[in-house]
Amino acid sequence: MKIFVCVKHVPDSAAVITVKDDCRIDNRVTHIINPYDEHAITGACQIRKTCSSAEVVALCLGRDTALDGLRSAMAMGADRGILIRTDQDHDAMDTAAALKAAMDRDGGPDLVFTGKEAIDTNGGETLFRLGALYRMPAMSNVVSVVLDRNQADIICEEEKGTRTEFEVRLPCILGAAKGLNQPRYPTMPDIIKSRKKPIDILDYADLDLDPLPAATRVVRLTACEEDRNPAQLKGDADQVADQIIQVLKHQARVI
Amino acid sequence: MTQTYDAIIIGAGAIGAPIAYELSKMGYKTLSLDKTHDAGEGSTAGSCAIVRAHYSTEDGVATAYEGMKYWLDWENYLDHVEDEKGLAKYMNTGSILIKSQGHDWKKVQRHYDAVGVTYEEWDNDQVVQHVPVVNMKEYWPVKRPEDPAFFDPPKKDLQGAIFCPEGGYVNDPALSTHNTMRAAQEKGGTFIFNVEVTEIRSQNNRVTGVTLSNGTQYDADIVVNCGGPHSFKVNQMAEGVFEGCNIKTKALRHEVMHCPSPEGYDYLNDGYHMSDGDVGCYYRPEVGNMFLIGSEDPDCDPQEWVDPDNFYSGKGEPGQNNQLTMGQWKAQCYRLGRRIESLQVPEQPKGVVDLYDCSDDWIPVYDKSDMDGFYMAIGTSGNQFKNAPVVGRMMAELIDAVEKGQDHDNDPYQYTLKYVPGRVIDMGFYSRKRQINYDSSFSVNG
Repeated sequence: MKIFVCVKHVPDSAAVITVKDDCRIDNRVTHIINPYDEHAITGACQIRKTCSSAEVVALCLGRDTALDGLRSAMAMGADRGILIRTDQDHDAMDTAAALKAAMDRDGGPDLVFTGKEAIDTNGGETLFRLGALYRMPAMSNVVSVVLDRNQADIICEEEKGTRTEFEVRLPCILGAAKGLNQPRYPTMPDIIKSRKKPIDILDYADLDLDPLPAATRVVRLTACEEDRNPAQLKGDADQVADQIIQVLKHQARVI
Repeated sequence: MTQTYDAIIIGAGAIGAPIAYELSKMGYKTLSLDKTHDAGEGSTAGSCAIVRAHYSTEDGVATAYEGMKYWLDWENYLDHVEDEKGLAKYMNTGSILIKSQGHDWKKVQRHYDAVGVTYEEWDNDQVVQHVPVVNMKEYWPVKRPEDPAFFDPPKKDLQGAIFCPEGGYVNDPALSTHNTMRAAQEKGGTFIFNVEVTEIRSQNNRVTGVTLSNGTQYDADIVVNCGGPHSFKVNQMAEGVFEGCNIKTKALRHEVMHCPSPEGYDYLNDGYHMSDGDVGCYYRPEVGNMFLIGSEDPDCDPQEWVDPDNFYSGKGEPGQNNQLTMGQWKAQCYRLGRRIESLQVPEQPKGVVDLYDCSDDWIPVYDKSDMDGFYMAIGTSGNQFKNAPVVGRMMAELIDAVEKGQDHDNDPYQYTLKYVPGRVIDMGFYSRKRQINYDSSFSVNG
């Protein structure tokens, strides 16, 4: 069983983002694996534990620097990596086509994990476009996966905490959400082991993709200035505690 | 109208606040000025606030050991002042100095014996008994993960450690400085924030006061530079002062990482402060059961000397600004990961980036200057937070003595420690005129 995990190398959410040429971000900031993809890798590795013949392949479309992200994915448990090397930014249609081409070259997937979205563009499109290209079921916000041979019971979280359970036949595309698992971060022995794992590098141009009938292009990127208006909670300790409870209940809605 | 004070202290951080406190206690009418919005909110807030005795010089050990006594008796030191923010807490974890090629631990041990520092020698088994997550293999020399040799298996064992039962960290360095400000205010000290000194005025080589960027002038016969990473800029404002220093200071960018403790290990409550020169790191517990991992400045790591104004305003290229870098995140976490194989290293860097006010030999300058009435407590080099209360007293006494006529350059002030019996610090040790002290570790270890 071959499980592909599509990972994206994205700017660190804690980085200060600057816009260059009005249409792209300065890529020199610290990059990390898209955090939702960490759940995808962990989910794929958990399935591999229950299926001895399973192989987890981390797949990434990105610049040379994305090799670091693939190394991290392998330290987290992926068996090997594939980088589709490019110097360009690609839209979701193009990305899905490139990912599919690379997977097909590698024998095709039995299961594909992605993050539910990437934190740089928050598009959440690529997994559905992959599903469309493959004519496979695609589900996002996945919080539970239970495999039984070529069938899977999937739970997806909807808005406002509601959940929907699906029964799907493999192969399928799953967009991992935070609730799927607690990512297992690598220890030094994992990191040392991952250094021996292979990464294949394909050039995007060598994939010979058919021209797409349509494409999107970023014409302007504008930094969003966020107004922060912190409020100070005043009063004695009991009053402040009451106010915190109200904030958690009614604003954050976490209790 | 120009206001007049006895002494103006530029900077209300870890060093400036206790100087203001001690001068106020001695009856000086003090004014503290700071660019930030509150006491300790500059580079002090980014301090790891480690309290440990080991230094590369005997006077360094003695001063640090003296400082520990202040932290252990914090309320008394503050004369029981009330602070609406609460009091900072000294967390006495005990301090483990790994015997390694990364530290001249035999020299440190000699200094401990000379000063009377309480310590125990532990063999490797005792270290593992106290810190069950570590292995005591040797990884020296310190390397970066980009170097394939970083991942080579270790071949030798370490030689144990020196354990000081006294040692640990202060839980909130900014709060401790705020506490000291409140204590200074109680003794009559004045603090003004969100102001920038742009001129140091003098007449006939005697300081007369300072001028702010908004044009406000304050007069005083004494001005003390406690500008932290801005110290060299402040010295440059005072005519002839910068040029009169043989030891110069510069702002050095530094990253400190927060990495979760291994599963099942309560580092926050059971852990020790550890100095581990074998992997070029020091570490201590941090809130959230984290390992706070600092770097001991191994030779293989780049040094980023930056303009402090650019740094604090978020300017500068990646690696020179106030953002953590993936390269250093991996370097520091992976180094600790060699010592603690069960340490899980997250993908996203978490920690603190701030500046050291670094001197040429990583030993501070606590001194007068070539301008009468202008003093400096600078070049703290990331290793003086623990000494701050001592420095406050030491500088106040030095200033008082010089103002009363002592020729400190030729007859250095001798500071008698209050808690380490019979120990006198020759303050010429901290002179701006000294030659570079090659006994120094030339690192954050001082």
